[in-house]
Amino acid sequence: MELLAIFISAILINNFVLHYFLGICPFLGVSKKLDSAISMGLAVTFVMTITAVVSWIINHWILLPYKLEYLQIVSFILVIASLVQLVEMFIRKTSPPLYQALGIFLPLITTNCAIMGLALLAALKNYNFMETVVFGVGSGLGFTLAIVLMAGIREQLDLADVPEPLKGAGIALIVAGIMALGFFGFSGMIK
Amino acid sequence: MASKTLSQEFIKGLWDENPIFRQLLGMCPTLAVTNAVINGIAMGLATTFVLVFSSIVVASIKKLIPNQVRIASYIVVIATFVTMADRFLAAFFPPISKSLGPYVPLIVVNCIILGRQEAFSSKNSVGRSFIDALGMSLGFIIALLILSSIREILGAGTWLGHQVLGPWFKPWIIMILPPGAFLTLGVLLGLIMVIDRKLQRSV
Amino acid sequence: MSLSSRMIIVLTSVGVLSGALLSTVGLLTRARIEANRLKEIEEAIVSVVPGTETNQKLYEEKDFTVYATRDAEGQVTGYAIYTAGTGFQDKIVIMFGTDAAIQKIFRLTILDQKETPGLGAKITDEEAFLKYWENKDCSQPLALRKPPVALEELSSSEVNVITGATISSEAVLNTVNDSLAKLRSLIQDGTIQIEGNNGQ
Repeated sequence: MELLAIFISAILINNFVLHYFLGICPFLGVSKKLDSAISMGLAVTFVMTITAVVSWIINHWILLPYKLEYLQIVSFILVIASLVQLVEMFIRKTSPPLYQALGIFLPLITTNCAIMGLALLAALKNYNFMETVVFGVGSGLGFTLAIVLMAGIREQLDLADVPEPLKGAGIALIVAGIMALGFFGFSGMIK
Repeated sequence: MASKTLSQEFIKGLWDENPIFRQLLGMCPTLAVTNAVINGIAMGLATTFVLVFSSIVVASIKKLIPNQVRIASYIVVIATFVTMADRFLAAFFPPISKSLGPYVPLIVVNCIILGRQEAFSSKNSVGRSFIDALGMSLGFIIALLILSSIREILGAGTWLGHQVLGPWFKPWIIMILPPGAFLTLGVLLGLIMVIDRKLQRSV
Repeated sequence: MSLSSRMIIVLTSVGVLSGALLSTVGLLTRARIEANRLKEIEEAIVSVVPGTETNQKLYEEKDFTVYATRDAEGQVTGYAIYTAGTGFQDKIVIMFGTDAAIQKIFRLTILDQKETPGLGAKITDEEAFLKYWENKDCSQPLALRKPPVALEELSSSEVNVITGATISSEAVLNTVNDSLAKLRSLIQDGTIQIEGNNGQ
């Protein structure tokens, strides 16, 4: 029950993009086309899940037992950077079609604050192992949901008559604001 | 680029290359912490500390670092200063540290900082990098200040905790909620475009 | 010097320098950060059980900690309970104090919440919410009064709802009721014991 609550909350209520404002760069940058948005979403979900597992292990097996919590930021960022590299190499070797779909998005993920945010938030919320994994998957899916919805809207927006100064990032942010307002309706659904 | 005077190097961060309004960098902290002016200022100062010191360090060790490992080295340098800022806030300003939550550690992935190392400090002298970092930070602080002032005044009727709007004012709570952040910045970007166009026409 | 050995030397020295710097900063700030955290708990305990001089942690699990409070003479004055429940947005972290017989709630305070500003966040507001929790009879589960009424009209085991924030108010109420039940069962099965007088 607790796990289900964390899962739904990560997707809908405390959505990474629309509530925590994490991963705004790809959210605005890679949401112009629906299919690339889907690929980006899946790549982030994939990396988030692995990050959740690895960062939990580092935090609970190394940093906390030896009272090295002040190395959290340095170790998380280095682990994420090397993890993304490894995942990229692994996918390229094992599955060329998957690499075709996700490959170019993987390097972009290293500096994506959503991944770092996930590791930090899971540590901050003091989740146990299973909760962290569920939180990782849910947050990834939440990011995917937001970016796919955004891409769907932006494809239509291309045909709309947007005031000149708002074209590009301006209107995208306003759309995101209205989306955030919509997602706000999910608050309170978990008791 | 190299022909710019030091003052131009400083000024460019404020408007022409303002990290938030023009380069659209560092959006996550910008949107997340601007629900109150005090949070915006704390975030701006923490980012300034990290950006200025990282730039100085990177500019002074740039010749020693082989090209292949430069990003990794920059990240370690940045992460070191971010940790220092984070621990300092937690030790001496616990309420601020609590309200900024994970966004202080997240300065480490703020694209402004890595971006300035890659685009500027790795190619310029220590002095020039220092001025550049200072200008960019000030541009960032100004942007945070504008955004958080709009949001706090409309959303709570206060500025830095002081009541500025009378009791007749019914706060637009939406402004301090996440949707308000997106809407305010979106409209602000539009306004900046309009002003910029006016300026260019008059030149 | 070959490129790869230079790469290794540079990365190692950057790592070592940063590690050295951080462990210094870490050690210098650790005591203070820990003290800040304890102080917050300490102040909350004093505020929820009047006349508290010392406290002692009796039981701890995730999001549920029980402290025994004592006055200047070392007499047990009651329990301070640290607990958390899911509100409208996120976790609401609560501290409340009861007398030693768990018949009366002295006071309740909210340590952390991320409810909607202006609506659910009023659970931290003295006038709108917290004052209704003072000196409540908790021998039975507390109940929520909606719509809210004047303080004098509330029965001794009722608290007012916040208009427009029923879910946040209910979350606090349910968390408190659940914690009380948990505390009683922990005392019953002997997990929690206080030496000296038990205040009965």
